[in-house]
Amino acid sequence: MTKTPDDRRLDLLQGTLDMLILRTLQWGPCHGHGIGQAIRAQSDDLLRVETGSLYPALHRLVKRGWLKADWGISEANQRAKYYRLTSAGKAQLLRERDRWSQLVHAMGLIMNPAPRKE
Amino acid sequence: MPPDWNELDEEIRGHLALSIKERIERGEDPEAARLAALKEFGNVLATRDSIRSVWRPRWLDHAEAVARDIRIALRSLLRAKGLTSTVVVTLALGIGANAAIFSVVRSVLLRPLVNREADRLLYIRQTARGIGTENLTFSMPEIGDLESRATTISTFGDFSTVDFTLIAFGREPRVVTAGVVNGSFFEVMGLRPVLGRLLNAGDDGPKAAGVVVLTHRFWTAVLDSDPGVIGKTIRLGPGMATVVGVLEPSVPYPAETQLIANVVTSPHHLGATMVTERTHRMTELFGRLAEGATLEGARAELASVHASMMRAHPEAYSARAQVQLQVTTFPEQIASPARTILLVLLAAAAVVFVIACSNVANLILGRSVRREAELVLRAALGAGTGALRRTLLAESLVLCAAGAVLGLVLAGPLVTVASRYAARFSVRALEATVDSSVLWLAAGLALLASVLLAYVPRLPSSDRSGGLGLAAGSLRMTPGTNRRLQIFAMTQIACSFVLLVGAGMLVATLNALQTAHTGYDMRQVLAIDVPPSATGVGDAKTLDFFQEATRRIGELPGVQGVAAGMIVPWRDPSAGLKFQFAFEGYQPADGEEDPTCRFRPVSPRFFAVLGVPLLAGRDFTDGDHNDTELVAIVNQSLAQRLFPDGDAVNRHLWFASRGKPRPRRIVGIVADVDDENVVQEPSLTVYYPLRQMGLPSRLFVRAGGDPYALVPAVTRTIRRISADQGVERPTTLEDVRAQVLTPERLNAFVFSAFGGIALLIAVVGVAGVLAFSVSTRTREFGVRLAVGSTPSQLLARVLKEGAAIVTAGITAGAVASYVLARLASMYVGSARLPGVLPAVGAAAVLGAAAVIASLIPAARASRVDVLQALRSD
Repeated sequence: MTKTPDDRRLDLLQGTLDMLILRTLQWGPCHGHGIGQAIRAQSDDLLRVETGSLYPALHRLVKRGWLKADWGISEANQRAKYYRLTSAGKAQLLRERDRWSQLVHAMGLIMNPAPRKE
Repeated sequence: MPPDWNELDEEIRGHLALSIKERIERGEDPEAARLAALKEFGNVLATRDSIRSVWRPRWLDHAEAVARDIRIALRSLLRAKGLTSTVVVTLALGIGANAAIFSVVRSVLLRPLVNREADRLLYIRQTARGIGTENLTFSMPEIGDLESRATTISTFGDFSTVDFTLIAFGREPRVVTAGVVNGSFFEVMGLRPVLGRLLNAGDDGPKAAGVVVLTHRFWTAVLDSDPGVIGKTIRLGPGMATVVGVLEPSVPYPAETQLIANVVTSPHHLGATMVTERTHRMTELFGRLAEGATLEGARAELASVHASMMRAHPEAYSARAQVQLQVTTFPEQIASPARTILLVLLAAAAVVFVIACSNVANLILGRSVRREAELVLRAALGAGTGALRRTLLAESLVLCAAGAVLGLVLAGPLVTVASRYAARFSVRALEATVDSSVLWLAAGLALLASVLLAYVPRLPSSDRSGGLGLAAGSLRMTPGTNRRLQIFAMTQIACSFVLLVGAGMLVATLNALQTAHTGYDMRQVLAIDVPPSATGVGDAKTLDFFQEATRRIGELPGVQGVAAGMIVPWRDPSAGLKFQFAFEGYQPADGEEDPTCRFRPVSPRFFAVLGVPLLAGRDFTDGDHNDTELVAIVNQSLAQRLFPDGDAVNRHLWFASRGKPRPRRIVGIVADVDDENVVQEPSLTVYYPLRQMGLPSRLFVRAGGDPYALVPAVTRTIRRISADQGVERPTTLEDVRAQVLTPERLNAFVFSAFGGIALLIAVVGVAGVLAFSVSTRTREFGVRLAVGSTPSQLLARVLKEGAAIVTAGITAGAVASYVLARLASMYVGSARLPGVLPAVGAAAVLGAAAVIASLIPAARASRVDVLQALRSD
């Protein structure tokens, strides 16, 4: 059996999409398509964000005040919405990152327990 | 800001464009790139919708859930049409009745008056309880005394009524009632004109020009709100007057009049009798509290002024009359007669509402037990307690809203009936309309009912195993539910009983009044008002006119007799026609005054026309006039009381208190009639010939056939003699009595209506409870039949169950109505315990209705098929 790229793909953990978006936008304003592509590229094609989840998430973050959206002209020479982090969004990103590393640490303790010292 | 659709579309288009561009740059065919991009994007519409939903406020989700619940409720209620319509109609009756009564109560008791500072406007009256008079009114000398000495009242306004023939505005002559007032009346009342001016001090006195102010009702209803009437000259009785203004809409108190005029328009008000006679009382008195004065202060001061006035003029205030001064605020004065009756009605409406609610509660309770399986299933599928309650609440909301809407539709006509009814007690009731406050009330009641109803049914409890409920296809009734059902049914029966007893009492009273023997020939006698214009008091012209009219009408075909008098029995006020008489050969006992007798001037043939038998002596004749011997006729009671030896005829009598006695001979004795009370009470009456004293104003025509058929001919005949003469209110005595009894009839009608509604609801309720109880016990009946019960035994069992509910309900109702009657008699003097007959009648009606209602479910129980019943569970 050969693995198709699709089998390799991972499902996003619930609640992590927001964090990924915030993290992606740390590099500067970007439109939805770019955010999706960035996540994909940076995860080495392991994570793919469905547009059906990406856009609602973007709007949810705007509504909460963590992102701001402005219209601009994209590489395709068309109007596109560019999202950027607000200061509240930056603070949120820090919080989420802390939470995430705690979670990873905790998961690691459980899944890869250190050999017991005799 | 939530983005609009265009913005979302554009964002998505932007995304696709980028995606396609990227693919083309990677070397894909443009068309393939487009398709791949679209495929990758997925469902564009769904994405757009889920973006939109991010922006949607949370409450919208809740609203949507409620809307969904309501849709489900509507669907499931539409499936249960019988239940739904019963519930809606029941609630509508309850809500409609309350809304109607409430709107009348509001307009009478709660709405502020237009009068400026109405709380400082006082109504002042004299009572003479010793002679049974609650309002003696005032004479001008009395008003003068109060006015000159009172300091707590800044201004007095007086008001009396006079009937005038009005010829104006290019219309037929008509008799109008005018208020005659002093110049400060309107200032005291605190009223404003809508047009022109009102009266002022310049309009007082005999030298002023005649001026009138039109009441708003007259101006709008009769004159079509014509602004051109200001400045018009009108003929008012004997003189002319100018219309100077139109009064704003206000409570027509103390009397409903068409116009209000200054004193100079009424010759009577300028005459010596009016101005100087202390006992010539016909004027009502208002006062406005002076700056800084209080009601208590004014009461105390006016009482002392009044007392000293009575000491100064002992001849005008007999000790027996117990004349006293009463001061009330104007709002209190106009609302107080209606308060009791309105509160009673409000209570009755509330009782109907309670009955309606408990009935609906029963129906809902029954329904919820039937759908227990459904609720259990919903709970099993994850519906929380809140969601289940919400389902039930949505259902009861739908029911109650429908009930409220239908109730408001009903409220319209009900308000009309109720306000006309209550107008007998307070003129303000006529202002009652269905308005927003009633809408709020109905909405409030509906909400109250729906919340109550949603909490009546028991939810499937969480501690019970869901499997049991899910598996069971049939109905089970817990003892708790059954008890609740029975309590609701008993409540309905008890409340209905209270209402029915009340209604029965009123109907019995009405019946007694309507069938009482009056002594008159009621059917064949037409009474007609022929008001004399205020030209002269008792002058020869009027007498001649009446003699001529009597003669000519008597010649009309179908007329058996014509007579004249001064009052139509029951219809006309006769308070003033009562004097003390002295009788030859009758000596009052020590300390007793001369007997007070009714004084009735009548024409010859009066007794024959009205069907009052002459018992002794002779009737008056055309020969009895001012130039012949003074004569009188007395009634039987008087003859027997004062002359027990039977020798009244040929004795003499005279007015006891007025100057030199002018004795008149008693020429006849007639049977007793009572023209003041519909149910005859013993009275002493003295009749004088009209040509010797008095002023005829009423004609009595005895008809051979239909009395009303004579009206056109009679009117024509009278107009031929005097073209301007008013001919009004031709009515047979029987119809006069019916009109006089209208309040009683309305009382009885309103309460019967309430009682009927209550009975209907209660019967439906009892039948519903039994039907439900039977349908849940199919298996039990099957077992009973199987072990040898006969169907008739089952029938009897169910009937007995119904009878038990009814008996308990009636007992509770009897106790409640006894307590209520006792409570009422504590606060209202005239309230009394219902008679035995209405109570027994109400119990019988309720019992019979309930037993008939329980027959249907009982019959169903007795027809249970054994095999099917046993298999059913």
